[in-house]
Formats: sequence, C-alpha cells, structure tokens
Amino acid sequence: MKLKRFLLRYYPPGIILEYEQQNVLKTKSIDLLDLKPNTNVQELVEEIAKKERLITNSRKEQVAQLIIKLQQKISQPDDRYFYLFKVLRAHILPLTNVGFNKSGSCFITGSYDRTCKVWDTASGEELHTLDGHRNVVYAIGFNNPYGDKIATGSFDKTCKLWSTESGKCFHTFKGHNSEIVCLSFNPQSTMLATGSMDNSAKLWDIETGVELSTLTGHSAEIISIGFNTKGDQVITGSFDHTVSVWDVNSGERIHSLIGHKAEISSAQFNWDCSMIITGSMDRTCKIWDAGSGQCMGVLVGHEDEVLDVVFDYTGQYIATASADCTARIYNAFTHELISKLEGHQGEISKITFNPQGTRVITASADKTARIWDPFTGDCKQILEGHTDEIFSCAFNYEGNTIITGSKDNTCRIWR
Amino acid sequence: MGLLSLLKKLRSNPEQELRILLLGLDNAGKTTLLKSLASEDVSHITPTQGFNIKSVQSEGFKLNVWDIGGQRKIRPYWRNYFENTDVLIYVIDSADRKRFDETGEELSELLAEEKLMGVPVLIFANKQDLMNSARASEIAEGLNLHTIRDRPWNIQACSALNGEGVKDGLNWISKNIQRKKK
Repeated sequence: MKLKRFLLRYYPPGIILEYEQQNVLKTKSIDLLDLKPNTNVQELVEEIAKKERLITNSRKEQVAQLIIKLQQKISQPDDRYFYLFKVLRAHILPLTNVGFNKSGSCFITGSYDRTCKVWDTASGEELHTLDGHRNVVYAIGFNNPYGDKIATGSFDKTCKLWSTESGKCFHTFKGHNSEIVCLSFNPQSTMLATGSMDNSAKLWDIETGVELSTLTGHSAEIISIGFNTKGDQVITGSFDHTVSVWDVNSGERIHSLIGHKAEISSAQFNWDCSMIITGSMDRTCKIWDAGSGQCMGVLVGHEDEVLDVVFDYTGQYIATASADCTARIYNAFTHELISKLEGHQGEISKITFNPQGTRVITASADKTARIWDPFTGDCKQILEGHTDEIFSCAFNYEGNTIITGSKDNTCRIWR
Repeated sequence: MGLLSLLKKLRSNPEQELRILLLGLDNAGKTTLLKSLASEDVSHITPTQGFNIKSVQSEGFKLNVWDIGGQRKIRPYWRNYFENTDVLIYVIDSADRKRFDETGEELSELLAEEKLMGVPVLIFANKQDLMNSARASEIAEGLNLHTIRDRPWNIQACSALNGEGVKDGLNWISKNIQRKKK
C-alpha cells in the first residue's frame, strides 16, 4: 500500500486518502465528525496515525495542516443574510421537489406540468426542460457528488435518467405499477433506487438501464427511500407504518423496523451508517441501531404528525418538522431536545440543515421559509414572497444559496 | 397540505373515503364551490393556477375534493388527476351562454376518457343567483345530457356563492355511491 495524496472533505469534515494497492488506485476516508475548532491537533494526528497505517511519521505534519484547514472552515462565523436574488416563473403548474447539484452551480425543479427544469444558479437562466413524462414529475435528484446525471420519478409510473449537460434522456425505467414518489442514487452513482405507490421499491443499473431487483415486502405505499453512505444498504419508509433495511447485492430484507403506530413520513441513515432516524404520522420519531435494527429511543413532543426528519451532515443532530407548526432539534446520541423552532403559522413539510450544520431551513404552508439557529432555536430570518404554500427548500453545499419551490408555480433563489 | 399529505390523499381508500374531481371551464366557480362545500369564506377568490384540495365530511363519507384550474392552457393537465376518481363534478357557469358550446365539448371529452369510464358525474349548473342564468333543464337539453347511458349522472342547479343547491348535489353523490358499493 502506497499513499498517493490527500483530499480534503469539508462537510462532513474528513480526510480522503488516495492510495495504491497492487497497482490499483483506491480511496478511503478518515471521518472527523467530532472535529471542533478547539480540538487539539497534535493529539488528533497521533490518534489517526495509531489507527491508520498509511499515516507514517513523515506524513503527520501534512495531516496536521489539513486538520487546521478544516478547523478554520468550521470556525467561520455564519451571520449571512439572504436576499431574494431571483423569482423564476418556473412552471405553469405547482412545483413538487427541488434539488442542487453538489457545487450548487445548477439546480432542478419538478412540477405538476410533467416537466423537470434545469437552472443555472448564478444567472437564473433555464438550461434545459426535461420533457417526456406523461404525468406529474414528483421525485427528482442529481447523482451527487458527480452531478452529471438527473433522475426523475413520475406519477406516470416511470422513472427517467437524463444527461445534465445535454438534457437528453438516457433511459426510461419501466416496471412499477403505480406512481413513483421517491428516488435516490447510490453514492457510487452506479445504481438508482425508486419507491412507488405500488408498495415496492426497485434498483436499476444506471449504465444499462436494466432492473437489478425488486424489493417486495411492504404492504402499503413506499414514500421514502435512501442509500447509506457505503452504498451497500437501502432504507425504505412506508405508509404500512414500518421501515425496511435491504441488502443492495441480494435484494433481501435485513431489518424490518416495527413500532410506529401510523404512516412513516421519512427515514434516513446517519453519515457513519450506525443509526437510522424515522418520522411518523403518529407524532413521534424513533432512533434505531442500524446494525441490530433495535429501537434506541423515541422522540416525543410534537403535537401533530411529523412530516419530515433529517440528520445533519455529521449525523450528530436530528431535525424534525411537524404539522403542529413547529420544528425541533435533538442530539442524536443523548436524544436530548436542544431547541424548539417556533413561529410558523402553518404546517412545516420540509426541514434541512446546511452542510455546515450551523443553520436549519424550514418550508411551510404559511407561504414562508425560515432560517434558524439550531442550537438556540432563534429564527434568524423569514424568507417571504411566495404567494402559496412552500413544498420544498434546499441549501447548496457552500451553504450560501437557498432555493424554495412553491405551489404558486414559482421557484425563488436566495443568496 | 405538504407534498406528503398529497400522497396520502392520492391513495385510494375505498372504505370510507371518496376521491372527487372538480372540473369545469375557467370562471365556472369551482374554487368557490369547493370553499362552499368546506363552509369557508367565498368572498375573495382568484383564478386557480394549479389546484386546491379539501376534505369534506358528508353522510359518513370523507370526500377528498380536488379542484383543478380551468384555464385553457392548463386543461391538458386535467388528466394528471384522473386516476382513482370516484365521482366527477363538472361545474358550468349558467350565465355564460356564449361558452355553452365550449363547456359541452370539454365535458364530452372527459366522458370519453378511459380512466374516467363509468365514473358517476354530477353537473352543477352554477351561478343561479344571477338574473340571466339558464335553468338546469335548459342546460341539460343543450348539452344532450340524456344521451349519457354509461354512468349515473345528475344535473343540479346551484349557487356556490350563497350555497343554494350545493347540499342537494352532495346528497346525490352519497346516495349514488352507496348504491354502487352495494
């Protein structure tokens, strides 16, 4: 094994080692999820070197420099004020979901008008209209971190794979018997997972367009799907009140997470694949051990359905959004409530952290999106201007641009 | 009503819930009717750019009513919403005689849709509060409603603005669905 070079990953903090083994170039990542601005660098370097043989004495100084760079990045104060940059009269019918590519240079919007559009963030110009679906385009996504492909899942029961560059359709994935409402690329971008109202999920090969497997076992609609960071497991959340974890290679179910008393709204792995968070219409969230499938804790407090739940990039904090007009932030390990985000006048349907973990954004039926300090619970800013419910919102990787998508047929860029 | 609630309403739950599609030309009064059904204020209503959904309780049924904008440019998208429809409500502006032909054409196209085959249709002859409105019988004749034989249908005179006749329409729906379910 020979170390070739280091790559830095800001969010979540980590150092990627590029090395050669038997003439094959490989990478592995050293996650520094606990890194704080005041972490002792020398001690951390020693600790890393103890665990990682590739970090020899001669490399220690380099590693120390990289850690200092990461510390500088995470200690930057975040007092940014967002201004409305552009209103895009994006579609002739309401928007569904929105998403950025990794760098944030472009983003996509899905709509009831059966198209997905690709936009240039800096200019607000439309780059492509991905036209071809015969019904609502509901679920959309980039194959981040690459960003050269876009997947669209539609109520027409098909999923399509497109080139970001040319807007051309590579493949149409046919096989589901009902609406496709969620999708996710694996981190290696070799596979696409789709979840459908037909109670099944499917895995597709991106290169060939062939169906790899059908994940059957749920007894109601699948409305949430995602890979873990390694890409060897898929998680599905269903209206049948359960969550399943599947082995990607065999298509077998590894765990069935049973315990919620109503429909699941969202399910997600944390970064290091050790935990799973699930949100439900039963007004609670549950934290599960990803290895054993055991429930480790229940987050109670919301007075109405939980509509969205997410981990921050490091997997240490959890944000929950509810129909009770509030959002909450919890510590993922202690399950302790850190703050309550109060102020919205309508249900909150979407919540997300910025990659830095220093801000949270919420999208609400009250026609506003709000930016919060997750640790104090203070509302830092109210993004006003949409004339109807906001369905979706997203931060770019740098955390300096926000897009919001609304039922008012427009999309807004804030920066 | 976030995206998730939309999915919840999209599911077909044949036991107690009905999925009702509310269609008609622009300015027919669909959104006013929807609000009237839900006993909401109907004084300030603007053209619908997309859709509205409300759940209304009637005779033991939960009616999930989908009100879709009627402007010409968005009519091609009506078919987005056809799947799993239990009842079609078609709203006509009874005072807008100039557009009776247009509304008749749209209705016959809907009735020819495969996904709406056999779906009971309730036609609301709306805006009866206006002086110059046509009577329901007049409209029924003009649109040749008596030629509909492949489904239960009914025409109901109403005013979404003052609520008259709206309840009668709902009662017809409840009765016909009950009959269908038996």
